[in-house]
Amino acid sequence: MKKFLAQRLDGRYSAFWASVLAIILTLITASLLLLVMGKDPVVAFQSFLQGCGFLPKANYGGGSGMLSDLFDFLNYLAPLLLASLAFIAGFKTGLFNIGISGQMLFSGFLATVFIGYNKSMSAAIAKPLVILIGLASGCLLGALIGFLKYRFNIHEVVSTIMINYIISYLTGFFINNNYVDMMTRTSRICTAAARLTWTNVKIGGVNCKVPLGIVIAVLIAFVVQFLFDKTSFGFELKAVGLNSRCAKYFGVNVGKSVVLSMAISGALAGLAGVCYYLGYTNTIIPKTLAGMGYDSISVALLGSASPIGAILASVIVSIFQQGANYMSSRVGVAKEIASLITGIMLLYAACGNYMRIVAHSYLQKELDKTSSREGKER
Amino acid sequence: MSEYIVEMRHITKRFPGIVANDDVSISIRKGEVYALLGENGAGKSTLMSMLFGMYEPDSGEILINGKPVVFHSSNDATAQSIGMVHQHFKLVDTYTVAENIVLGIEPLKKKFGFLPWVDMKKANNEIAELSRKFGLEVNPTDLISDLQVSVRQRVEILKMLYRKAEILIFDEPTAVLTPQEIDFLLDIIDGLRKDGKTIILITHKIMEIKRIADRCAILRRGKLIDVRNVADTSVQEMADLMVGHTVNFNQQKNKANFREEILTVDHLTVKNENNFEVVKDVSFKVHGGEIFAVTGVSGNGQTEIADAITGMLKIASGTVKLEGKDITEASVRERALSGISYIPEDRHGVGMVLDFTLRDNLSLREYFKEPFSRNGILNPDQFQKYSEELIERYDIRSGQGPATIVRSMSGGNQQKAIIGREIEEKSKLIIFVQPTRGLDIGAIENVHKQILQERDNGAAILLISLELDEIMALSDTIGIIYRGELLKITPAGELTSHEVGRYMMGVKDA
Repeated sequence: MKKFLAQRLDGRYSAFWASVLAIILTLITASLLLLVMGKDPVVAFQSFLQGCGFLPKANYGGGSGMLSDLFDFLNYLAPLLLASLAFIAGFKTGLFNIGISGQMLFSGFLATVFIGYNKSMSAAIAKPLVILIGLASGCLLGALIGFLKYRFNIHEVVSTIMINYIISYLTGFFINNNYVDMMTRTSRICTAAARLTWTNVKIGGVNCKVPLGIVIAVLIAFVVQFLFDKTSFGFELKAVGLNSRCAKYFGVNVGKSVVLSMAISGALAGLAGVCYYLGYTNTIIPKTLAGMGYDSISVALLGSASPIGAILASVIVSIFQQGANYMSSRVGVAKEIASLITGIMLLYAACGNYMRIVAHSYLQKELDKTSSREGKER
Repeated sequence: MSEYIVEMRHITKRFPGIVANDDVSISIRKGEVYALLGENGAGKSTLMSMLFGMYEPDSGEILINGKPVVFHSSNDATAQSIGMVHQHFKLVDTYTVAENIVLGIEPLKKKFGFLPWVDMKKANNEIAELSRKFGLEVNPTDLISDLQVSVRQRVEILKMLYRKAEILIFDEPTAVLTPQEIDFLLDIIDGLRKDGKTIILITHKIMEIKRIADRCAILRRGKLIDVRNVADTSVQEMADLMVGHTVNFNQQKNKANFREEILTVDHLTVKNENNFEVVKDVSFKVHGGEIFAVTGVSGNGQTEIADAITGMLKIASGTVKLEGKDITEASVRERALSGISYIPEDRHGVGMVLDFTLRDNLSLREYFKEPFSRNGILNPDQFQKYSEELIERYDIRSGQGPATIVRSMSGGNQQKAIIGREIEEKSKLIIFVQPTRGLDIGAIENVHKQILQERDNGAAILLISLELDEIMALSDTIGIIYRGELLKITPAGELTSHEVGRYMMGVKDA
């Protein structure tokens, strides 16, 4: 058993197995937590899955069914995956973009105000424009952060956190003054034409919300993977991330790479923003940053900063976040436990490298033992 | 009581892909100078790191004064009276000499009868006394940042002595010193031996072993080859044992055949971030077929000259021309493409991306050109093919061939990879900065051969080195730098190494 595990953690797919191990450990820890609270962990995990449409619930309301839950889940998954891809794009270049929430809000707000409230636009024009605004506004914001780092040596963690506040309050001010819905105290909802999710789509006899974002997100995951694995531009970005002095030495324009990488990261965050605010929620709560921007960091690390890994990791995290409501109502545990579980998972994922090193030295020792035994036999 | 103060029995230590120490046993007598000699990656530093508690051996045991010990950290080793001067000094620049020495074991006194207080006055006095006793002149109240390298080394030695170390390990102590300073250090080591201390000297310079050591253990590829009495062993014998084949000490050097002018540096001035002129008004020329060597004490602006020529550093004033073409404003990439290869001093920090594979690192100069990439899409087959060629041609040894992560390779092989990559560009100008630092004789011989070969092929070579022997052996023209100024440019052979040494200390009329 021990050896089997160690071999998995030391082999070619060690990053994958480290993540799997992190997930298993998380489930064990979460089960213990639930047991301490006097709840049945099996029922709890079952209801997480039921809440996301992976398992059938006991009963459904009128017009909804397993498929509608599954599509709700995809609605949540799309922006989360895009946000974690945004983080990965920066992370590979050695940049820690902790401002994804702010970038999401910025693009979501602009798209809502300029397209979402424009009642004369047809869907065929509105939706592409929303995506375009999402990409462009996030890109500009990211480029600004990259420029601040390159030109004035302001660390991106500092500038993004500050910019998060600025955007949060600035958009909050405009929403409260101009765009607020007096009933809900959030921004008025966008037109169906602009929204990136088609609502009330009949599939298999139930109403579903079909997100456009999920197609884009999965597509972009492969694009990002290709960019870093197969292009000379990605090669340069990785070199800047791992050793910027060496990158400069072999002729990479480091400043330009930092600005471009942040611009890409921002653009993807912007795209996540429009998928979130003009797809999943369809409204903006003023002065509130989406927790998704931070969850995306967990997803990226759980996926060991690989875009394809992020697809799997975002599914896992989404199950907890999106299934929490149903789990909460059925088991009677506050739905915030989803964030707790995500946090625990981040901790274990961050230990991944350590586990891989332990596995490696364990295997080395085993190897010594067998080789010295063979020596004696001879 | 055992005859030996230190015994290491059957020590084996593995790192990914290599066995750093393979069943090594050494025994060191009290009061002797014991040298460890070996090629780079032979496992000398690893062995001593285990004695100093930085690594734990995979198998084997360590005995101090006949008693087995297990070290989990260097604190355990210090407690057993073992001290080590690392190749890269571990000092706090902004602290004084005394503060650095007492750091961690500060003498305390009770202020007002109860407040614990670091007694710096006592520390200063103790250190002044200690430095007098061992002839290690330092001023306890000087700041480390104001001190020369050789004085910093003395501080490191005092640090060990202050901790009552009886076993002193020196890791390549002379690598950064001038000839005069080396003489002084060897005298100090001799003095320590007379005081009854046991000294372990890690070095690849056989002449120093010959001068100071009593016995010498020779390691090759992780295995102990032999332990010799230094007095009964010739230099040639030691070199041959270390490398495993006969070493040619005198590089066959053909007569220089100067061709057209390739590099022209005119009134070059470079400023650092504090606006201080680290290179002042430097002018020189390098011809094809010429080795122009710049020498000086470390930190006198020589690496900045290289960085300014290659575009890593901004030029404050003056011009740099390559074959008459002004490249003062060109980018790093443009300069490289116009014919400059550069082997930088810091091979880990600048010369390679340690977490990239060997394949990627060997392709750093090529990856953006066809057929390595087309329209920005990489061609992995070409990377593989090219790196296999270079590995073969330059005899680069690694655990897993092109797929090896460079971090796990030995320093000598990393340097081979960099030199191979740069030479392969067939540039008109090749800049070598400290190309043999930390390398063993076999590897040095190889690098020197390559430098001479490139010269004979007509390349202009700018060699920047702290190793005076290297400069004397290779250069056709010598430029001596002191505080950013080229004090003297002279054809090689007109100065002896001691005269060069005096110029390096800033004496203008040596």
